[in-house]
Amino acid sequence: MISLAFKNFIRSGSVITGLSLLFLTGLLSLFIGKQFLTKQQQHIADVSAWQQEHIDRNIRHFDKETGLLLYYLRFSIAHESEPINGLSIGQRDVNHSVKSLTIRNLEAQLYDTDLYNPSSLLLGNLDLSFVIIYLFPLLIIALSYNLLSSEKENGTWKLLTVQSGNPTRLLLQLMAMRGTVVFSVFMLLMVAAIGMLSLPFNATLLAFFGVSALYLLFWLATSFWVVSWQKSTAVNAVSLLTIWVVLTIVAPAVINSFLINRYPVPEALDTAVKQRKGYHEKWDMDKKVTMDKFYAHYPQFRKYPLPPGEFSWLWYYAMQQMGDDDAQQQSHELKEKLKNREQAGNKVALFIPTLHAQLQMNNIAQSGLGNHLQFIDSAARFHEKMRLHFYPRIFENTPVSRENWQQFKVASFTDKSSVNWVILLLPLLLSTILLLALSIFQLQSHKE
Amino acid sequence: MRKKVILLIAGQLWRQAFRNKGIFLLTLIIGSLLVYAAISGWSNVAKQNSIRQQFQQAARHDWESNPDKHPHRMAHYGHFAFRPQSSLSFFDMGMESYMGSTVFLEAHKQNSVNFSEAGFSTGLLRFGEISIAMILQVLVPLLIIFLGFSSIAAERENGTLKVLFSQGVTWQELIAGKSLGIIGIVAVLYLPVIIVSIVLWLALIRFDVSAGELFRLLCIAGAYLGYLVIYSLIAVLLSAWSKTARSALVKSIGVWLLFTIVLPRATQAVGAYLYPAPSAIVFHAAIEKDILKEGDSHNPDDPHYKAIKDSLLRAYKVDSVEKLPFNYSGFIMAEGEKISATIYDQHQTQLQQLYARQNSIARYAAFVNPFMAVKYFSMAITGTDYHSYVRFQEQAEQYRYGLAQRMNELQMKYISNKKPGPDDKPYTISNHHWADLPEFQYKPPSLSAVIRQERISLAAFAAWFVLLLVLTRLLSKQLKVV
Repeated sequence: MISLAFKNFIRSGSVITGLSLLFLTGLLSLFIGKQFLTKQQQHIADVSAWQQEHIDRNIRHFDKETGLLLYYLRFSIAHESEPINGLSIGQRDVNHSVKSLTIRNLEAQLYDTDLYNPSSLLLGNLDLSFVIIYLFPLLIIALSYNLLSSEKENGTWKLLTVQSGNPTRLLLQLMAMRGTVVFSVFMLLMVAAIGMLSLPFNATLLAFFGVSALYLLFWLATSFWVVSWQKSTAVNAVSLLTIWVVLTIVAPAVINSFLINRYPVPEALDTAVKQRKGYHEKWDMDKKVTMDKFYAHYPQFRKYPLPPGEFSWLWYYAMQQMGDDDAQQQSHELKEKLKNREQAGNKVALFIPTLHAQLQMNNIAQSGLGNHLQFIDSAARFHEKMRLHFYPRIFENTPVSRENWQQFKVASFTDKSSVNWVILLLPLLLSTILLLALSIFQLQSHKE
Repeated sequence: MRKKVILLIAGQLWRQAFRNKGIFLLTLIIGSLLVYAAISGWSNVAKQNSIRQQFQQAARHDWESNPDKHPHRMAHYGHFAFRPQSSLSFFDMGMESYMGSTVFLEAHKQNSVNFSEAGFSTGLLRFGEISIAMILQVLVPLLIIFLGFSSIAAERENGTLKVLFSQGVTWQELIAGKSLGIIGIVAVLYLPVIIVSIVLWLALIRFDVSAGELFRLLCIAGAYLGYLVIYSLIAVLLSAWSKTARSALVKSIGVWLLFTIVLPRATQAVGAYLYPAPSAIVFHAAIEKDILKEGDSHNPDDPHYKAIKDSLLRAYKVDSVEKLPFNYSGFIMAEGEKISATIYDQHQTQLQQLYARQNSIARYAAFVNPFMAVKYFSMAITGTDYHSYVRFQEQAEQYRYGLAQRMNELQMKYISNKKPGPDDKPYTISNHHWADLPEFQYKPPSLSAVIRQERISLAAFAAWFVLLLVLTRLLSKQLKVV
């Protein structure tokens, strides 16, 4: 009987239209993801070519003083994208994937914004995570909202229950049938994704698959729960749509506005203003003030005393260093605030499946805020490394020709954090089980 | 069409709607969201602007309290421009979160506008932001659909439609009456919230309101009313067209989904695909290359700068630059600044045109998607659209250029032409010059300029009305009662 019902269901024109539309949108999203990855790779290749040319040109121009040369030279660090980034673009289109930094004051460069079209950012990306989070639930709703009610309204339900004996089991079978169809489309898209983006088989892919699958199960359970109320078709439809709108539109927007108001970041503006003053005011101060602080920060450079004369590169870079040192507290507070924002977001998301799925997909695809903050930290470490490499050469004025300039390729950063399976899957699993249990309880207790 | 019949039909829909528990719950949810959006939007604008004002003053104070200095040091000391958030952004966040708040303005270098909310945001931001505008654009249409999907189809299913027509009601009266009923419900529910938020806004700008700004509010109100009327008509027409209420609901939801969720992203993706934008590094490298082509002020043998030097020496009849009556290196820097700023402007304009072309697809999509028409129009009027973003950048760049050139002028005028020796103190000028620099002030565009920019959105609105009226007429002839 179930196989008959399945044939009946799958032959319906609107079901086929819905399924193919969703599948095509999914393919489009993969294409967009692929485009994004290509663009990222092109970007990094552009930076590599530019950096080589930039270094060559400047060492020809400024071959006398290492200090002057390093005023101009920029060294880049790239935020590498794994192919899985194409499935969930996340915040990667907002944030720079490459930082090109001079060894001067870091705080003045670290937060430079990428070139972007704000309209595109506002309207958002049509990536696979969008298709899974927004569109798949709608398909599930469309396939199942009238599961019980239409049979009842047509008067066929009695007949079915008489034939099968156990109405709850029958409903579960009918629901499972719809679930199978949804999962087939999802599996097809995953296979297409693996092919189109050349995704390697690894833990991140499994994690993305796992969180998506559980997210779909959550929606199947939600639909089943609404069906178990045994209300009319119209009530089911309106209720499920309301749940969808609350979970995908209202709750995220309200929570985001709450987080932004709860954790405003005036520290960013403060850092910018402080670092400017921290550096520039040193021009008008006694050099000793700057040098004492500089030697305190880097005792290893005490062996370079301040040379006579009005200007020296040692003093200049010590002043630049003061921009960072004086803004250190604000900069630290800024990072703390952003970490708090991220943690608060993750915590709230545990209770809201749509948010949880999106944030976890971003995490897996390395496109979330946490990942960006790690890149910022790594860019800062890279900057420090370059500073410590060049400071002695500047202070000794090592001839420019003595340096092996070929060694300065674009550095790269890859997030190495591993998947936390429990946090990833448990919230969705629990809510699915809870909804399923509620539905069965509902069905058993309201038998007619 | 008879007015009395229309009102009668509207009244009947009204009574039915208020008897429905689900609808009641939904209006309550949307109503409380509107209140939340008004309050949080208001506090966000107030908080952000007070933070930005505070730092604008701090930056200005730092600038003015500099001691006697060489003017070129001051040109590097530079200034900050903090972008004020438009007061109407409490109503429509628009692109606010993507625009950045802070730009550092210094000689020789055009810096990016940094610290956008988006850059500091978790992925949550990309679900969209809550504001009164978002609720009116996205959620209220959904309510309209819930109110409207069964309006005619259910009567057809019940057979009451036959009764109505036997009493002499026409299709046009029926459609007008049902739409009016829906609009009436929406208006009565949300008018109070809109009025309260206008009062909140007035408090935000301390009741310092001009006729122009009131006209702005009127424009917004008109646009949203038009948008909601369009949606009501769509919902009622779909209901008239469908055999059953259920199929009307599915169709209306499909339309809503396409308009508000899928099409905006898809059309923008098409734009970005058709007009690929350069990466930051390619953009800046091209500028660098053009500037080097024009002349390299660091290279003593550069032909461009050598020609300037020779012509100056000839004009002033002296044999070395040190004998010129003004500071030579100040002059050269002014020339360099002019060249680099002009080239930067050219590239920046090109980039902005490219972005505008990317956006044009989604903009013209307003003719198939009224959501885009109201979204763009509302953002433009509230000063949170793409043009405002560009405008701030342009004004900040103008200010930066003025600052750099003013410092170069001071250098030419007051700094000696003789190079100081290695042990001499650097030349300085009196610090009273610093306060002479006027403070940065962002000037928003005039309303008439905004409306001219939004011709497409307005034309799309007009097209939608014509389309729906024509459809009503055509359907009136073809629709069946059973």
